[in-house]
Amino acid sequence: MPETSSQQPDQDPVVTSSLSVPLLISALLLVLVLFWSLYDELYGQRLWKSYQDRFVKNYTSLIQKQLPAQAEQEKQIRQSPEFQKLEQAAAAAEDAVRPQIAEIDREISQVLTPQIAVLNKHFAEARGEVQALQYQMETAASQRSKESYRKDIAAAENRKREAELPTGNGVVKKITFNNYGEMDAELTRLKARKAELETKRIELLKPAEEARRKRDAYMKDHLVGLTEAQMQGLLRKMQTFVMDIKQIHVADVDLVDRCESCHLATREPLKITKAEMGGEPAFTSHPAPELLEIHDPERFGCTPCHNGNGRATTSVEKAHGKYKHWLWPLYDRANMEAGCQECHIRDMVLTYADTLNQAKALVDHRGCVGCHRYEGYDPEPEQLQIVQQTISQKEALKHQMLLDAQRTISDGDRAPDNKTAQQLYAKADNLRVMSSGIDNEIGELDRQAKNLMRERKKVGPSLKEVRVKLNRDWIPVWLEDPQDFRPGSRMPRFRLDDDQRKAIAAFIWQAGVPGQLPSRPKGDSNTGKELFETRGCMGCHSVGEGDNSVGGTFAANLTRVGEKANYEYLVRWVHDPRERTRPYCPLEKRDIGPEDYQKAGLPFVFDPDHSTCPNDGHEMQVQQMTVMPSLRLTNEEAQDIASYLITLRKKVPNSYPAAPYMDDPALKAKGLAWVKHYGCAGCHEIAGLEEEGRIGTELTKEGSKPIERLDFALLTHKAEREGWYNNKGFFEHKLENPAVYDEGRERPPLERLRMPDFDLKPDEITALTTLLLGSVDSALPPRYFHQPEGQGRDIQEGWRIVMKYNCMGCHVLRLGQRSVIMDLPRYQDPDWKEQIPPQLIGEGARVDPVWLSKFLANPALSETDTNRNGVRPYLNIRMPTFFLSDHEVAKLVRFFEALSSEQGPYIPPKLEPLTEQERSLARALFTSPGAPCLQCHATGDPRHDEKATAPSFVLSRLRLRPDWTRRWMLDPAMMSPGTAMPSGLFKPEANRMVFAGPTPPGFEAYKKDHAQLLVRYMFEFTPEEQRRLAGSAPMPASASRSVPNPTRAALQ
Amino acid sequence: MRSTCRFFVPALLALSLMGCGSKPPAEETSSTAPAAAPAAAPVDPATAAEITGTVSFEGQAPSRVRIRMDAVPACTEASKEPVFSEEVVVNDNKTLRDVFVYVKDGLGNRTFPVPATSAVLDQKGCWYRPHVLGLMTGQKLNVKNSDPTNHNVHPIPTQNREWNESQPPQAADLAKDFARPEVMIPVKCNVHPWMKAYIGVVPHPFFAVTDEQGSFSLQGLPPGDYTIEAWQEKYGTQEQKITVGPKESKAITFTYKG
Repeated sequence: MPETSSQQPDQDPVVTSSLSVPLLISALLLVLVLFWSLYDELYGQRLWKSYQDRFVKNYTSLIQKQLPAQAEQEKQIRQSPEFQKLEQAAAAAEDAVRPQIAEIDREISQVLTPQIAVLNKHFAEARGEVQALQYQMETAASQRSKESYRKDIAAAENRKREAELPTGNGVVKKITFNNYGEMDAELTRLKARKAELETKRIELLKPAEEARRKRDAYMKDHLVGLTEAQMQGLLRKMQTFVMDIKQIHVADVDLVDRCESCHLATREPLKITKAEMGGEPAFTSHPAPELLEIHDPERFGCTPCHNGNGRATTSVEKAHGKYKHWLWPLYDRANMEAGCQECHIRDMVLTYADTLNQAKALVDHRGCVGCHRYEGYDPEPEQLQIVQQTISQKEALKHQMLLDAQRTISDGDRAPDNKTAQQLYAKADNLRVMSSGIDNEIGELDRQAKNLMRERKKVGPSLKEVRVKLNRDWIPVWLEDPQDFRPGSRMPRFRLDDDQRKAIAAFIWQAGVPGQLPSRPKGDSNTGKELFETRGCMGCHSVGEGDNSVGGTFAANLTRVGEKANYEYLVRWVHDPRERTRPYCPLEKRDIGPEDYQKAGLPFVFDPDHSTCPNDGHEMQVQQMTVMPSLRLTNEEAQDIASYLITLRKKVPNSYPAAPYMDDPALKAKGLAWVKHYGCAGCHEIAGLEEEGRIGTELTKEGSKPIERLDFALLTHKAEREGWYNNKGFFEHKLENPAVYDEGRERPPLERLRMPDFDLKPDEITALTTLLLGSVDSALPPRYFHQPEGQGRDIQEGWRIVMKYNCMGCHVLRLGQRSVIMDLPRYQDPDWKEQIPPQLIGEGARVDPVWLSKFLANPALSETDTNRNGVRPYLNIRMPTFFLSDHEVAKLVRFFEALSSEQGPYIPPKLEPLTEQERSLARALFTSPGAPCLQCHATGDPRHDEKATAPSFVLSRLRLRPDWTRRWMLDPAMMSPGTAMPSGLFKPEANRMVFAGPTPPGFEAYKKDHAQLLVRYMFEFTPEEQRRLAGSAPMPASASRSVPNPTRAALQ
Repeated sequence: MRSTCRFFVPALLALSLMGCGSKPPAEETSSTAPAAAPAAAPVDPATAAEITGTVSFEGQAPSRVRIRMDAVPACTEASKEPVFSEEVVVNDNKTLRDVFVYVKDGLGNRTFPVPATSAVLDQKGCWYRPHVLGLMTGQKLNVKNSDPTNHNVHPIPTQNREWNESQPPQAADLAKDFARPEVMIPVKCNVHPWMKAYIGVVPHPFFAVTDEQGSFSLQGLPPGDYTIEAWQEKYGTQEQKITVGPKESKAITFTYKG
């Protein structure tokens, strides 16, 4: 058997083995790949197709479901008698003109239009002929040929022409025109006739149009949602829906947003919810259609507000930009308003963006700007620095000029000839004149500095005052944990070790300026408590901890103030919070003491009226950098309140462990280093550190920092794993725990993260994160940015001041906003409700701007009688004096005017003077029992006024605007719901408003508007008139009125 | 095309879900619309029960402050009788007048027809009469001015809409109603600030105001467990629980201490 195999030829794989199986498999694979690629091309990459398919299905069934109800609702409206009446009126109006319209239509369509068409043809021919000849004549070379053409033109113009004009009833009228002019005239006549008829037609149809408009308006007012026809239109739209990419393309900004390829319901007129569309979140209406109205998607697209990758269509992640290589992922729902900030960087208060508003208030309130620069926030220190530098430069320049002038004069004295001497003298004079111009500039800069020094505020209290203000041993305890002593305090927690804390405390204590406060007698703490609760302190301050806290959160919670503060200091602070122990001279850069004044032979007196430095003659910081206003209290009242405040404590002040190291001079230098390191001077005034800059990073563009530049330190991998390796994650973790990126690192104290812990609540973290995410270096062109001009700018500048001084603690300035005061328990009582400060919506329309500026500067409206309210003396709560700068007053006035769309400058309208007869009529009405004006309005009689509930009429002329006054009298509840002023005092009669109650004799003959009569009377109201009325009117009731007063309050 | 589309859609959806892995956030619970009230069983007069009682007072009756309105002749024109505050009125039998007593809880979601009769609040001698009154939600309140002077009527509710209207002498009555239950709504006249009235608005007809005997009675109640509340202007509210069976009449007593 051997060798058999070898004899056979080798098996040829070509012959013996088959490749069919691999080939088959390959072929199958190829086919599969082909199918897969086809599928992927058609569907895998085109996710939106399935969305569109589902949308059409769901939306169609939704419309079909809603249609019957809408149709039924519409039917019912159609059947309502009111609609029927309107419908009939419309039909009647139409019928009334139908024959005339038909006649007009017939003439136009059957006569005029065909005639014009025919004649136009003939006329065009004739004109062509004439114009051709005209051209030849103009281009002809010789006069002779010109002349011959002229003749031809005349011949052509005067040739008889014929036209066959239809007359509408099948008959054709043959007309012969003697010349071109006749034809032209006839055509013009026909056209004029047609235009005339068309105008007439419109005129005739006007009543019918009007009636139809009324009918449709009735339907629109009464139908909730869409009409049946509109719904049918939507259905048709779905039936003819074309599957394709829906894209918004704004060419000039290269914006391509295809979001609506899936988000198909965004702009649908029906309000669509997720639940109605099979639970698919992509199919919901835009939640704020009013925002789309002001940001037209055709112009703005989607991604400028929402971020994400507008071009991507292949997957949800890609489109939403939630992948590694897209820098602008879709904003989370919680941070949605970041998109607003990108363009609305200048808006302090933005409607529809409450999260951002909260963040912007926090930036100021928690003092972020103490360490971080953010454009537009707390600009005063920088401006002040520039002004002061400019003053120094100008002074140097002036000095140089005078020196030059002196030298030039000397040169002149020594000049070889008179001419040169005169030239040099003239030059010297010019230099002197110029230097006097600089004097003026310096004066102006000083005024600016004065304004800025008034405006400049610090978040925290001045630490220059610690020696006269604080219990020494309390300071280190406070530094250890401010939130423990005063939960909710604006002061953050620094991560200090024992040595650091001791050094800082000792430095602060020793850096305090020396001073002595006059000793004050104790006041009555019960009266003080009542004053504290009713003068308005609680609009900003609160008392009580946790759930028991009552009052505003704008300023400090005073529950334990008695443990830390000196009584004498509290008296001074309550009486006049601006008062400081020593003024600070910014040019000399030091606090000036009595010794400096003594040298200049001046008494040691400094206040806003005595604010120049005795040494250099420039503006000094003479007030504390606090927003706390003066309530214009007497010293006795301030003592009462301070006596009450000093009782607010949990333990006695001297139970704090003694801290003798506070006076150890060795610690001062150590402490200074730490105080600088932690940037304490960002929020506090500290002696020697007045010029310190901000220690933190600038945040204006923080949101567009690339992720690599945000230092996650050792947490990078953790963040990646947990899915927060992005800007949002960085900000949130940092805000929640500012030391978080030190985790695991071993560094000396000077290299550790410095940002203190603000104990922010989750909603505050979200708000600040939103603001930071939106703080980007935008790629959008400038026209997208909201750059408020004119009144828009006035409003935003005004909001800054309103927030700065917490006007909204006492007043309502925005619709829906509530003041702190109106929510205090005491003010829930109906009688106390009348003690709530006035709401200020529409204030710009109410008051004269000149008056308002005077009032804001001096709310007592008096230089001498200041312990009262200028307008509403009956309010226990006091409109404080804020010591606003002239600047701020002007801005606030413009703010109120802009909010009411009042265009300045305001010129009070001239009212027709009252005749004697009118005056006596108005006077009679004012004092009649039917009109209770003087029962509530202050009259100047002190017995009455302490119980009055409305301002004196004497103020009207300068304070109010007459048109507002009339509207107010007619329906005060329209402007200020809940006001004590009743509605319904006047009723309409013919074209005027008449008094609703019985009128005094004489009014039967008076045919003019009663409200306007009273307005004119009020605007001529003088103190003499008031006295006269007080003499004649029945004395208003005064006894037993249950108005709020301390005794009444004690009963509550 | 449409049909293939349908074919692929489920697969595609599944793919896309696998792909994105992140499900959209859990659906927000849609705001629960008020469950349609089950048809309320009408009160059967045959089984209707009754709760009566008195509001007694213990201790020293506070002296009533005299309200002086001599300065306003229009107020004293009709009567020169001295007027006293009605904040606390202790009857001769040591009971309290003007206490508003009503069923606070226990009627479930029964609804009741709004009475066709309107309640009246009169202004006479610069005084509200009555000082305390009850209304059903939606029931008309007629405010009269019987004085020769102008009043303004200013209810200061917390749950209802606030209004403040002037009512000159001889003017037509103001016809108003309150849409939402509220115990109590203070009413005042800003012109004559001593004028005070209180209106209790409840969503059913089981309320009463104690009279000169300090007694009240809530009639026509369906049998059941009830919480009855009494409200007094100065001393506040008190509650009692009580069960009444068919046709039963039970008495309860509220006691306020001075």
